[in-house]
Amino acid sequence: MGNRFGNAYGLTVLVPIKQGTANNRSFDKIIRDQLQRWPKHSGSPFALVPNTYLARAFLLQDVFYQGAPAVEEHLKNKYLVVTSNFFGDLDEYLHGMWEAISDALKTVLKHCYGFDQVVSAADFVLYIKKCKINNSLFFNGSNDRPLPEQLKALYVKQAFIHFAYLSQHFRYQGESGAINLQKSFKRFVALIDIHNLKGNSWPVAAVKVPTDIETTIKATIVTYQESIK
Amino acid sequence: MSATETVLDLHDIQGNIVFGYGRWGYPVSRYLFFKINDKQQGMAFVEALIPLVTSSAPLDSQINEGANKVTTNLAFTYAGLRELGLPDDSMRSFPEDFRMGMKARKDILGDDGPSSPENWDPIWQNNYDVHMFMSINARSEENLIERYEQVLVLLQDAGDGAELLSGHKSQTGEELSQYQSGNAIMLNGKLTANEHFHYADGIGNPVFKGQGRNKADTVGNGKPTRSSPDTQDGWEALETGEFILGHRDESSEYPIAPNPRLLSYNGSFMVYRKLHQNVGKFNDYLQKTSKYYGEDGLSDDEKQETLKAKFAGRWSNGAPLASYPDYASAMKFGEHWEQATHTLYHDPEASTQQKEAARKIYQDLKTKRSGFNYANDSKGASCPLGAHTRRTNPRGSLEFDNKGAFDTPGAMVNRRRILRRGLPYGDSSDRSDDDGEHGTIFMVINASIERQFEFVQQQWINYGNDFKLSNEKDALLGNHELDQGGNPDGKTVINSNKTLGQPTFMCSGMPRFVETRGGDYFFIPSLTALRMIAAGIIDPT
Amino acid sequence: MSNIAGKSYAMNVITPITGWVYYVNRIKFAAVQFSVSRKLGTTGFWGKLVPLRLAELIYDRLNGLLTLSLIHYARWAIIKQFPHIDESQPKEALKYHYMLFFSNFNGSWKQYVDSFHMAIPNGLDLLWYKNVSYPNSVPLQPFHKYITYNQVWTNHYYNAYPLAASNDIKGAQTLKDELEKFIDESDLDADPELFQIRFESLLESQQQNMGLLAATPIISLSANAVIEREA
Repeated sequence: MGNRFGNAYGLTVLVPIKQGTANNRSFDKIIRDQLQRWPKHSGSPFALVPNTYLARAFLLQDVFYQGAPAVEEHLKNKYLVVTSNFFGDLDEYLHGMWEAISDALKTVLKHCYGFDQVVSAADFVLYIKKCKINNSLFFNGSNDRPLPEQLKALYVKQAFIHFAYLSQHFRYQGESGAINLQKSFKRFVALIDIHNLKGNSWPVAAVKVPTDIETTIKATIVTYQESIK
Repeated sequence: MSATETVLDLHDIQGNIVFGYGRWGYPVSRYLFFKINDKQQGMAFVEALIPLVTSSAPLDSQINEGANKVTTNLAFTYAGLRELGLPDDSMRSFPEDFRMGMKARKDILGDDGPSSPENWDPIWQNNYDVHMFMSINARSEENLIERYEQVLVLLQDAGDGAELLSGHKSQTGEELSQYQSGNAIMLNGKLTANEHFHYADGIGNPVFKGQGRNKADTVGNGKPTRSSPDTQDGWEALETGEFILGHRDESSEYPIAPNPRLLSYNGSFMVYRKLHQNVGKFNDYLQKTSKYYGEDGLSDDEKQETLKAKFAGRWSNGAPLASYPDYASAMKFGEHWEQATHTLYHDPEASTQQKEAARKIYQDLKTKRSGFNYANDSKGASCPLGAHTRRTNPRGSLEFDNKGAFDTPGAMVNRRRILRRGLPYGDSSDRSDDDGEHGTIFMVINASIERQFEFVQQQWINYGNDFKLSNEKDALLGNHELDQGGNPDGKTVINSNKTLGQPTFMCSGMPRFVETRGGDYFFIPSLTALRMIAAGIIDPT
Repeated sequence: MSNIAGKSYAMNVITPITGWVYYVNRIKFAAVQFSVSRKLGTTGFWGKLVPLRLAELIYDRLNGLLTLSLIHYARWAIIKQFPHIDESQPKEALKYHYMLFFSNFNGSWKQYVDSFHMAIPNGLDLLWYKNVSYPNSVPLQPFHKYITYNQVWTNHYYNAYPLAASNDIKGAQTLKDELEKFIDESDLDADPELFQIRFESLLESQQQNMGLLAATPIISLSANAVIEREA
């Protein structure tokens, strides 16, 4: 029950890591080393997994002793902790993950208990479900639209703001202003193609604002030269 | 006096923490920066200055220190405290922001482009030579010079052990001065509270417990309660510890402070920033842009005044947009204010009765000027959501439309208040000038530079997420960027006001109106700590 | 290794809770989660029998968290038993249960713990109710120390929109939905003056979503150093 908030799903997974070493480094440290070397942003394996909003991975090495009078205890296993916030159905998501990045998954999970039996997407789904922790509470402070829609919305907002700023002067140009506003807006509508989530949109995991948004919007504004023709 | 009322030893606290001297009748100032070259001589110099230091006790009672005519206060950088021989343990216990200094934290503050340290006055182009800060505020130029020369004589006694650094760009812009001047702006022969864009400045300053202000002063300046903002019940004084170390702060604890306790108790941290103002660009932009802005029936000048008010959140005369959303009512406020203050303070022929009546009106206007919130203005129709004063003191408005969502209405704001001190510098009679030496010496006093000043600067001035304005910056103070063609690219939305027939108005192409020209972070010790620093007896073991 | 991806910060906290508190916490979280589902209308048949007013009593306690508006997604999970998926895997034998907290929020932890703890202190205390050594959310320094002590650093953090804060996502969605409706209902070939009136009306309705997106402010110099290292 605590895994959903609307259509958004909060997946929490703890994958137990085998005891053992390779090349004088224990398996859990190897996994952490790999994670830390994964490329970031659009190069991240998660970027290839459809409908992933935000995801993270880290090594849980041990629990923390709080100091007396608390009791000191330790984990017998290390765990690879993976959380993902995504849109949609869990099975579909995990299928999609396997289809997109099974190689990366195999590299990271090969030293985990039971993973050697995973050879197909179906196996992977079952495996993850065994490692899944059910949330007690999943809080969605954002929304639960599919990722392509969220990205399209970011693009549309940025585009609309530029359009609004660049077309404000039409407000003060009486009748011809209204005509030119409408003409410009028509071009704007064609450019942003608002219903088409696969058309112009905000790039996944973009760390720099795409510079072409402003320039392409500028081009939709009917210029003085054009209007007097 | 109840058992829980805060009592501060005002004699132990430096006066600039409690008083904004400029508004208290000390309209001229000089700011001096010293370098300590020898520990012993440096300490002796500090010792010699102590009799001149002004405390927070009533100014006219500090006759021996001459505070009835001129005030003096001292503060130190991290490098300065080290030069004076403060022990390593104490040095390490200072917070990171102070240890690094303002220049090193330019990326947090957004001091880039024209505000970048390479453009700062020469005095700041060194590696940690600025050690000690001294402010001198005086009633008159004569008093100012007298104190300055007194200090120079004491400096001579220190020999090579201490030197007065030069490197402030002065009025002419050419020569380098040994001090930075500050002066209240005169208009038509009268002293004003204006800064160089000609807004009345210094209206909203936090009021804290133990400061010695009357309850009426907390209206609009303390932290908001759930009662009506135009009444005294609507506000409470902030906890002392937000501004003075060693006292309880808004989070019900003592703020993080350096060791040992005697070093930090009754002290505070200060940010000093020389802010250049592009007066020409500002007026030019307003004139150009306001042509289409404002109510019908307003002249061009009046439209310009209106847009100017929308940037700041207050009209030039100080009337808050939240209570005076239109030109006519704001001018009325200004007229009444002028009349009342004239009768009270400048009319030799006013009778006692007239003065009493004027005082009542004046008090009422003061309440109206500060006692408001944005509860009835959630869409920014009166005061735009991104206006300067709304950003720097949101009052209760960060609850947005969810009254009661937070523990207190000011929960997101009470820990981000800053005391503002300082004066304008330079002359801006030429209203089209950008390059002359004119701007504001802006000083902030707070218990934590990072939590208070830096947060406001970074999150509320140069960014807009807390106001749901994405990356939009403060129109007046924001570090507006250039577009790909190298043209000014600052943007701000002036929210619509249907009643006044003003549609949503978008301002673009804003240049930077304010640029940083220097500054640093300082520690203001108590009078006790000052004596101990001078005597070299700070011991954290 | 960084907890930051653009405007979002990944916080991971693991804290022990004692036996009986585990049950209290399960019930408490279940009540909150149920009230959420009831409010969203996604409960099953029996769930719908619970009066909405009752669920709202609990749901409203999240009001502060929602108003803070700084969170993308957050979760609390209580581990009674760590996953044991293979015979050869040693079984954990722990005295405590463990509560995991994961959040994606905007700003630095230092900046926002200050705001959170003043805005919703009772909410925070409820969420970390009786966790071992939990000091209460006010005053700040012990609370901040407690969370930082029990924080696990993220090894890889992915954000599908580093340039967007939670407010940006929400605002953009509102704007897109309204614009879509507007476009579908507009005649772009006739009556330009009517169109202009309608356009102005749309603009006015969206004027609170008119802030452009750009990169996050540098929230800490160490984060800045990470960015410079990677550039």
